[in-house]
Amino acid sequence: MSITSSKSLGTSLLPVLGIVPVFSARRGMKSIKVGSSARANSVGVENDALESPNGEVAAFSVGATPDIEKKYVHCVYDAIAPHFSATRFAKWPKVASFINSLPPGRLILDAGCGNGKYLGLNPNCFYIGCDISGPLVGICANRGHEVVIADTLNLPYRSDFGDAAISIAVLHHLSTEERRRKAIQELIRVVKKGGVVLITVWAAEQEDKALLNKWTPLTEKYIAEWNGPSSPRFRSPSAITLESIPEIDDSKCQNEKPLEPNGVSQGMVGPEASNNGKDVENHQEYFVPWHLPYHRAEVSSASASALVSGLAKKDDKKGALVYNRYYHVFSEGELERLVKDMGNAVIVDQFYDKSNWCIILERTS
Amino acid sequence: MRLLTHNMLSCNIKGVTNGFPLKIEATKVIEKQVDLNVDFLKNMFLKVEWKALVEASRSMGYAELPEEADSSLLGSEEFLKKFHHALLELHLEEGALICPETGRRFSVTKGIPNMLLHEDEV
Repeated sequence: MSITSSKSLGTSLLPVLGIVPVFSARRGMKSIKVGSSARANSVGVENDALESPNGEVAAFSVGATPDIEKKYVHCVYDAIAPHFSATRFAKWPKVASFINSLPPGRLILDAGCGNGKYLGLNPNCFYIGCDISGPLVGICANRGHEVVIADTLNLPYRSDFGDAAISIAVLHHLSTEERRRKAIQELIRVVKKGGVVLITVWAAEQEDKALLNKWTPLTEKYIAEWNGPSSPRFRSPSAITLESIPEIDDSKCQNEKPLEPNGVSQGMVGPEASNNGKDVENHQEYFVPWHLPYHRAEVSSASASALVSGLAKKDDKKGALVYNRYYHVFSEGELERLVKDMGNAVIVDQFYDKSNWCIILERTS
Repeated sequence: MRLLTHNMLSCNIKGVTNGFPLKIEATKVIEKQVDLNVDFLKNMFLKVEWKALVEASRSMGYAELPEEADSSLLGSEEFLKKFHHALLELHLEEGALICPETGRRFSVTKGIPNMLLHEDEV
């Protein structure tokens, strides 16, 4: 065991409690090649496929990651991490005011911290972040933050430790109500009695309705198959081919013109599938595209595999790979409904802000 | 990984009831100095499991913490310095965290613990 001493820059507690020197951008941990249904994270731990070798499906556990999330959340974020991080800089005022309202000396847990945008925001508090994406966690660590690779469904924290917990734009990536509920229960569990939890999620009711045209709704048929207890084996990627759709990001800092009208998907998922008498506005399951510029994709081994496996498509016109991210956008009152029966927390505030539904909970017992 | 984080980490494999504290296998430890903040330490003192902190800091090569501590010690500057040093200034860069009940190893690489579970553990 070796112990070396190194002085951090500056001598105040700020680097620990919040303000840290911004390290020059390094790529953090490399993603590992994406296989068919198995996925290795960036520190070499194999996650077993849900399906056992003889074809039987493992018993359904709320903590087990459904394939749709592995493919269209985990793999995507791993592949786009540096680009994603580069676009995540705007601090959302409502989140900032929540964090800044906390008394000094508090411990804040950020579950699904992404690139660590909110870690260290209030310099008087200490932060521990976690995310399931190794590459994103690596980016946080490079910036001097205290982070852990973990699943928000199963926080590796003992109970009642934190003073506050935040879940910013995370729960909409969970594909079943049971998982979304479990994630909220975990956030409450890890804060002390009297601790507070802030959750924000994308709203089905988007301020910019034109954006909905750029998303691809999933059909009910697929939702049932992906989310049910008898979830079938991983679908062949060629069954879902999506034409490129202009990118939007959740900071809404890019406004792109929509593609020509025939930019709709082929295969079994597409707007025409959702127009069979159903009101598109009631739709809550979507693929939302991410455009990864070629120059960014070239340095990522994950992108080469993604092309091969069909997880990403080339858009030469835009010079980018198009990935799709799975979203379950929340309807009005949905967050409230999820927490209503949780006996150990009360709703302190709930509001709609910039196309997101937000809720603040306080743990009561 | 700082020992503050370690004091919160627990093995959450399904069925495990005794997943805390994780035993530390330290391959590489570094120290990073930060200024001391009394309010912060007082808040954290109420949260930390003291014996786990003592044991963990010993695994990291630091043996200065008293075996037992109560809040009266928070008035002692010397104690605060030691508490601060153990809690915030020691970093496990490379090593492993081991579940006391199952022996499951969680690797720590570049200061980052990987606490992800396998499919059969959730």
